[in-house]
Amino acid sequence: MSVQEILADDQDPARASGAQAVVLSTRIRLARNLAGHPFPGWAKAPQRQEIAERCIAALVDLPRFRRGHVLRMAQEADLDRAVLVERHLVSKELASGQAGAAVISRDQTCSVMVNEEDHLRLQVLRPGWHLRGTWNLAEQLDDALAAALPLAFSERLGYLTACPTNVGTGLRASAMVHLPGLCLAGQMDKVTRALNQDGLAVRGWLGEGTEAAGNIYQVSNQQTLGLAEEDILKHLGFWIKHLVEQEWNARRKLALDEGEKFVDRLARSFGVLRHARLLSSSEAMNMLSHLRLACDLGCLPEALRDQVDRLLIEGQPAHVQVRHGSPLDSDGRDLRRAAVMREALRAFPEVGPPSA
Amino acid sequence: MSQPLQCSLCAEVATVHLSQVVGGKVTKVHLCEACAGKGGAVDPAVFQLADALQAPAAAAELTCPRCGFTDVDFRKRGRLGCPACWETFGGALSPLLLKVQPEVAHVGRAPAGTAPLGQLRHRLAAARAALATAIAAEDYEQAAKSRDEIAALEAALKPA
Repeated sequence: MSVQEILADDQDPARASGAQAVVLSTRIRLARNLAGHPFPGWAKAPQRQEIAERCIAALVDLPRFRRGHVLRMAQEADLDRAVLVERHLVSKELASGQAGAAVISRDQTCSVMVNEEDHLRLQVLRPGWHLRGTWNLAEQLDDALAAALPLAFSERLGYLTACPTNVGTGLRASAMVHLPGLCLAGQMDKVTRALNQDGLAVRGWLGEGTEAAGNIYQVSNQQTLGLAEEDILKHLGFWIKHLVEQEWNARRKLALDEGEKFVDRLARSFGVLRHARLLSSSEAMNMLSHLRLACDLGCLPEALRDQVDRLLIEGQPAHVQVRHGSPLDSDGRDLRRAAVMREALRAFPEVGPPSA
Repeated sequence: MSQPLQCSLCAEVATVHLSQVVGGKVTKVHLCEACAGKGGAVDPAVFQLADALQAPAAAAELTCPRCGFTDVDFRKRGRLGCPACWETFGGALSPLLLKVQPEVAHVGRAPAGTAPLGQLRHRLAAARAALATAIAAEDYEQAAKSRDEIAALEAALKPA
């Protein structure tokens, strides 16, 4: 039951085959707490430990987590924790503390963070855009959890959480979207403003407070109280559908207006990834974003998109180091990362014009 | 006297010790490096944090009887101490809640065995809408179903 096993498992739900042209993955998160216990941020160390063990004991008994992974952050190496963050299995906040743990299902679709900001953060993560199916899984997990542990709940305020921004449903539904068309067209500010005004948050690749490298954004609901789960999901679904349409419009317009210049841009990114000797994380992500776009438009075979998605993960700093087998400084990582990209792209064909 | 001083803000060992003399009165603050850094107190010229600590306005007005968390703690951390804090601070938090949430009443899921009022109200509103739609469409079978559901929900919502 280790991070190594998770890495060895090719079934990485956020990246494995099944991601779509615009929506990389769908995520449902539910914040839950044990009744009668202080929240992790206010509990004393022994209380936190007691809460963690109680939650873990209940979770490993659930059928969903049979033969799954139990990872206590205090016992994991720094690099292994960072790998979990890069795979979106735990948050930066959980990984940086000592009191937290993660229980992860065998197929890595379901995970529960224990002692993050709340006692329990349930997460279901699936590749592509599958809001309904992802929600159904989360609902089942929530029911199973409520049957196993007494949860803090109020008739008036719903599920009680440490932070007022999560109280009520405790639901954060999100889509990880790849928006190179809107970014290249310079429309991202406008899009972000429109989404913000209608109650949706737009964040970077690794969630709260992170940068949007590789034109990848996470779009999620902000309100959790006074709205039923169904309405929250419908609202997000409406906007994601709209966003996917806008993104495709932007892509088509770019391909049409810029013609050969546009293809040249994608081909140049391919050239850099194929031949560079040093690649920073953000440079690699931005170039891979172009490659992904090339696959979506038929400039490269669409079947290669999954490989590009895998490289987006493999190019992350902790992944580069863990695959290398030892910690590397920034220059060492850039060297290794470039080697990984060169090797992986060896078998790729040339970038051609978009298919009609 | 060998015991190290505790940080005035958290439980860490204090390594930064501030003394401030105002009008002949000496106040001392002991901070760990992390807390001192946050308040800019590592720069001896900046005593904002000490001011904040000594300010009478910082006196706690509400305390959670269950976990000892106070409104001052909330102002500092932006997070509550325990589920029971919602009882203690719920009223005081309402204006803040309305800034981040559309309404201060839960209408979503509940653990098995509980039926939150908000959820019942939500279902009642939905049933009334369904009734109106059914009547407009002259679907009297559906209208009868909705009418029964409304009656049941109204009964459940009536105070005992």
